[in-house]
Amino acid sequence: MSSPTESPVGGDGAVPIAATGLCKTYRDRKVLDQVDLHVGPGQVVGLLGPNGAGKTTTVKALLGMVHLDEGTAALLGHPVGDPTARRAVGYLPEKFQYPDWLDGRQVLEAHARLIGLPADERAGAITDALRLVGLSGRGDDRVSGYSKGMQQRLGLATAILGRPALVILDEPTSALDPIGRREVRDLIRTMRDRGTAVLLNSHLLGEVEQVCDQVVILHRGRVIHSGPLVDLAAGVEVRVTLDRLDEDALAVMAGFGRITARESDTALLALDDVAAVPALASALVMRGHGLQALVPLHRSLEDVFVDLVGTDLEGEGL
Amino acid sequence: MTVVRLTLREAANRKVLIVGAVVSVAFLLLFWLGFSIAFNSITSPSDPTDPAVGATIMTVLGLYAVQFLAAFMAVLLASGAVAPEIDSGRLHAILARPLSRTSWLAQRAGTFAMLVAGYIVVMSGAILSIGAAIAGYGAIAPWRGVALLALEVVVLVALGTALSVRLSAIAAGVIVIALYGAAWIGGIMDIVGTALDNPTLQRISTGVSLVIPSDALWRGASYYLQSPAFLIAAQVEADTGNPFAGNAPPSGLFVAWAVAYGTAWWLLADRWFRRRDL
Repeated sequence: MSSPTESPVGGDGAVPIAATGLCKTYRDRKVLDQVDLHVGPGQVVGLLGPNGAGKTTTVKALLGMVHLDEGTAALLGHPVGDPTARRAVGYLPEKFQYPDWLDGRQVLEAHARLIGLPADERAGAITDALRLVGLSGRGDDRVSGYSKGMQQRLGLATAILGRPALVILDEPTSALDPIGRREVRDLIRTMRDRGTAVLLNSHLLGEVEQVCDQVVILHRGRVIHSGPLVDLAAGVEVRVTLDRLDEDALAVMAGFGRITARESDTALLALDDVAAVPALASALVMRGHGLQALVPLHRSLEDVFVDLVGTDLEGEGL
Repeated sequence: MTVVRLTLREAANRKVLIVGAVVSVAFLLLFWLGFSIAFNSITSPSDPTDPAVGATIMTVLGLYAVQFLAAFMAVLLASGAVAPEIDSGRLHAILARPLSRTSWLAQRAGTFAMLVAGYIVVMSGAILSIGAAIAGYGAIAPWRGVALLALEVVVLVALGTALSVRLSAIAAGVIVIALYGAAWIGGIMDIVGTALDNPTLQRISTGVSLVIPSDALWRGASYYLQSPAFLIAAQVEADTGNPFAGNAPPSGLFVAWAVAYGTAWWLLADRWFRRRDL
C-alpha cells in the first residue's frame, strides 16, 4: 500500500465526531451508558474494549444504523441520522461482505456514485483507492474470487474512496496477515498526515498503540478512560527505592499518587501526573530520605487496559 | 438510481433474469403447441365444443399459469429483499453512504416490483397474442386485465418486503405463500358459494379477499381477459364457466381497497425499516 498525497474533502473544518451521552439499551441490557466520544480533524482515535463492550454499537450509532435512546451525536457538523452527515465519511464494517457477483471496480463504482463523485473523477479515484490498498491489478476480478483478506482490502478501498474527511474502521485487520496489518497501519498514518480523521475500532492493542493519538476505552458500555495515548501508555508508574522505606516516606509518596506495591525498601507508585516525578524526588530528599533510585516504568497499553478493565470489574463486585 | 442499478445487476448475475427468460420461452412454446393442437381439435366438425369457449378456457388457463409464476417470483424476490442484506453485512457498507433507508428500500423493492410487473405485461401479452394468432382471440379489456394482474404482484412484493424487514427470508416467504394459498381457497369458496347460493361461503370469501386480495384480483383480471362470446355463452348455459376465472368485473371499491392494501404494506415496510437497528 502506498501513500495518498492529496488532502481530504468534505469536512470543511467541522468536528469529525462529536458524541455526548450516548445511551442504548437492548431489552434489559444497557449496551451504551453515557458514552462521550470526540474526534478532532486529523486525529486518529482508537476505540478499545473487550468483546461486547459496545464498540461496534457506538460506531453503528454514529452511522445512523442503531437508534440511540439518549444522547446527541454529529458527524462533520451534521446530526447522525441525517444522510448528509455521511457525505464525507468512509466506513469499513466489522462484518464486511461485498456483492460477489460484481468485480472490485464495480463495487467501487457503485460507492463512487453513492457519494456523488463526479463521473469524470470516478475512474481515477477508483484506481487510486485500489492502488492504496494493494489491489492494483485485481480490480477487474470478481469479488467471488477474492480471499477474505482481499475482501477486507476492498472494504478499505471503499472506506478511503474519494478522500473522505473521516474514516471509521471497525476491526480493519481482522482478516489480514502480518504484512497486511503493517500496510494498514501505514495507510492510517498517511491518512493522518494528510489531515483525515480516523476512528479505529480494534481489539488489537498493539495496533492501536502504534497509530493512535488518543484512545477511548469502553467496558460494559461505559467509557472507563478517554485521553491522549501518550498519557496513558507512558511511565505513569514509578519504582522508588530508598535507604529505608518508613511510614514518613510512604506518607510523602501518598501525596503524589497511589502505592500499588511495596517490598523491602522499594515501592511502586502510580502517579496521578507523570510530570510530578521531579517534584516527588525533591520532596523525598528534602524530608531526609536517601533516594537510591527513582525509575519511571513504561506500561504498555495492554497493561493499562488490563488494569482498567480489571479495576472496573472489581468495582462492580465481579 | 444506484441501488436500482445494483439490484438489476444482482438479478442478472444471479441468473434470475436469464433463467426466468429461458423458462418463460419454454412455457410459451409449450402453450403455443398445446393451444394449436387443442384448437384444431375443437374446430373439427365432429367436436361440439364452441371454439370461442374453448379458446377462452385455454387462454385464461395460460394466463392463470403466468399469474401463478409471477406471484411466486414476487414472493421469492421480495421475501429476500431486506433480511439477507442485513444478515450478510452487505447493507451496512451501502447505508453508511449518504443514502436514506427509505430511498434504499424504495429502489430495491421498487426494482423487484417493476421486474415482476414487467414480467406480467410481457407474458400476458404473449399469451393473448398466441390466442389471437391461432384462434383470433380477443379479450374484453386486455389492458384492464393486465393492469389488475400487475397490481396483484405488486401487492405481493409489498407484503413480502414488509415481512422481510421483520423476519428471515424463509419465514417471510412461507407466510406470503401461505397467504397466497389461503386467497386461492377463498376464491374457490366464492365459486362454490355462488354455485350453491350459499351466502356464508361468499361472506367468508369476501373476508379472505380483504385480508389477502391476490386471488380476488386475479378473478377480477380474468373477467376482462375472457372473450365476450364466452361470457354470453356462460350466461346462456349455466354449466358453462371457468372455475379459475371470474364472471363479473371487480368493483371499484375492491380495486381501491387492493391499492390501499398494497400502499399500506409499502408504508409499513418503510416505517419498520427506518425504525429497526441494523
